Amino acid sequence: MAKYICNVCGYVHEGTSAPAECPVCKAPSTEFAKKGIDVNNNGYIVTYSVIMVVIVAVLLALASLSLKSRQNANRLNEKKQQIVLALGEDPTKTPYESVISQSLVLDKDGVAKQGVSEDDVFASMNDLKTTFLQGQFPIFKSNDGCVVIPLIGVGLWDKIWGYIALAPDMNTIKGIVLDHKGETPGLGAEIATAKHQAQYVGKQIFNDAEFVSVVLVKGGANKNSQNYIHEVDAITGGTKTSNGVSDMIKDCLSYYVSFLKANMPKQEETVNPENVVSNEQ
Amino acid sequence: MNSKSVKFLTEPLSGSNPVIVQILGICSSLAVTVQLKPAIVMGLSVMVVTAFANLVMSLLRKGVPQRIRIIVQLVVIATLVILVDQILQAFVYDVSKQLSVYVGLIITNCIVMGRVEAFALGNRPWDSFLDGVGNGAGYALILVIIAFFRELLGSGALLGYRVIPESWYIANGGCYANCGIMLFPPMALIIVGCIIWFHRSKNPSLQEK
Repeated sequence: MAKYICNVCGYVHEGTSAPAECPVCKAPSTEFAKKGIDVNNNGYIVTYSVIMVVIVAVLLALASLSLKSRQNANRLNEKKQQIVLALGEDPTKTPYESVISQSLVLDKDGVAKQGVSEDDVFASMNDLKTTFLQGQFPIFKSNDGCVVIPLIGVGLWDKIWGYIALAPDMNTIKGIVLDHKGETPGLGAEIATAKHQAQYVGKQIFNDAEFVSVVLVKGGANKNSQNYIHEVDAITGGTKTSNGVSDMIKDCLSYYVSFLKANMPKQEETVNPENVVSNEQ
Repeated sequence: MNSKSVKFLTEPLSGSNPVIVQILGICSSLAVTVQLKPAIVMGLSVMVVTAFANLVMSLLRKGVPQRIRIIVQLVVIATLVILVDQILQAFVYDVSKQLSVYVGLIITNCIVMGRVEAFALGNRPWDSFLDGVGNGAGYALILVIIAFFRELLGSGALLGYRVIPESWYIANGGCYANCGIMLFPPMALIIVGCIIWFHRSKNPSLQEK
């Protein structure tokens, strides 16, 4: 039933048509106006909300679908750039394709799986933690014999990740890229700075044949310690994040130890005391 | 465009600037102004969101139930912000990474809600749209001014291009050093304070008695 409202006194009449005369102020029926939908009616509010939510959902779903491929291409490109960066090259000048010769997925014995395309390797890194748990370990080989290993871990607030590049001796760190989702700016977030990452270059992850990884040391790496070659300075005020980075590097590299050992150059080739002596003479 | 419409656009740039007169949106103006580029993108994003949030809410203003109008405003603003975020991720990925959470935080930017609630619900769509553009531009303007000083004095560059020659630096035998404090948020607050000071001294009508 429609509602009619008296323009003179505000009396509301319910019926199929306006009354001949207002029962309150005796105004004629011409003073009555038909009332529109009551926007504060509960039924209206519920309908309004439902329609609004459906429209918004459809709109966002469409936007997400149409932009997905472009966003994924951006993410893939970022991964490639970080891999190049870990090797110490400038990704704007040296494209990924010119540096990396092979991308592999290893099993837990360090043997490369057959028939794995580059797309599969990158796809396996979308959820790296699960990939590691499934016993698959992606790795990238560069033209000059270096390897790049992806890292994933947990910082203070959220996940942290990165790439570590090892020189052809599979022991010395050639470079590292670290990134984070939500570490504290100025404190934990400092792990993403070039200054922090430069410290890792030249550090070693093996002590003779034993895997020791690199550790971020609170208070700074001690130059006199015999472990100095396995230590870098932790972030001041970012101890939890620093510990997260130490754990991440250790955990992720430990999956690759058998592969790294198998690919190490033979001992005689690297150290040749006779040559050193003859040079001095 | 008549003079009234022009006023909707220009008034928020100075006389009723959302940041330095109404003191709204301070939080994000501290966070994204270390460099000029993210500040410009953030300013543009807020401009798009305020303009379209105002337009949409103004079109809906007669049908919105009074009791749930704040929720409706939030849904409209949140939808626009998610769209902006998606578009940034697709087309300017590195900037979207730099802005990270702050794009999402446009939803809580007081300027957007303030303009919708105070202006769009009581004005016609075109006027509301212009008001949104004007207020977004007022916000962007202040952001760009802050970022200009912070990037120039904090890193000696503008838009990533080096302005202060390398040879001036102490490390290279010169006598200049970047002002490190410029990189920290408190310095943005001090710059906002200086802008307000300058602005009020030029506009006596804004000075409190």
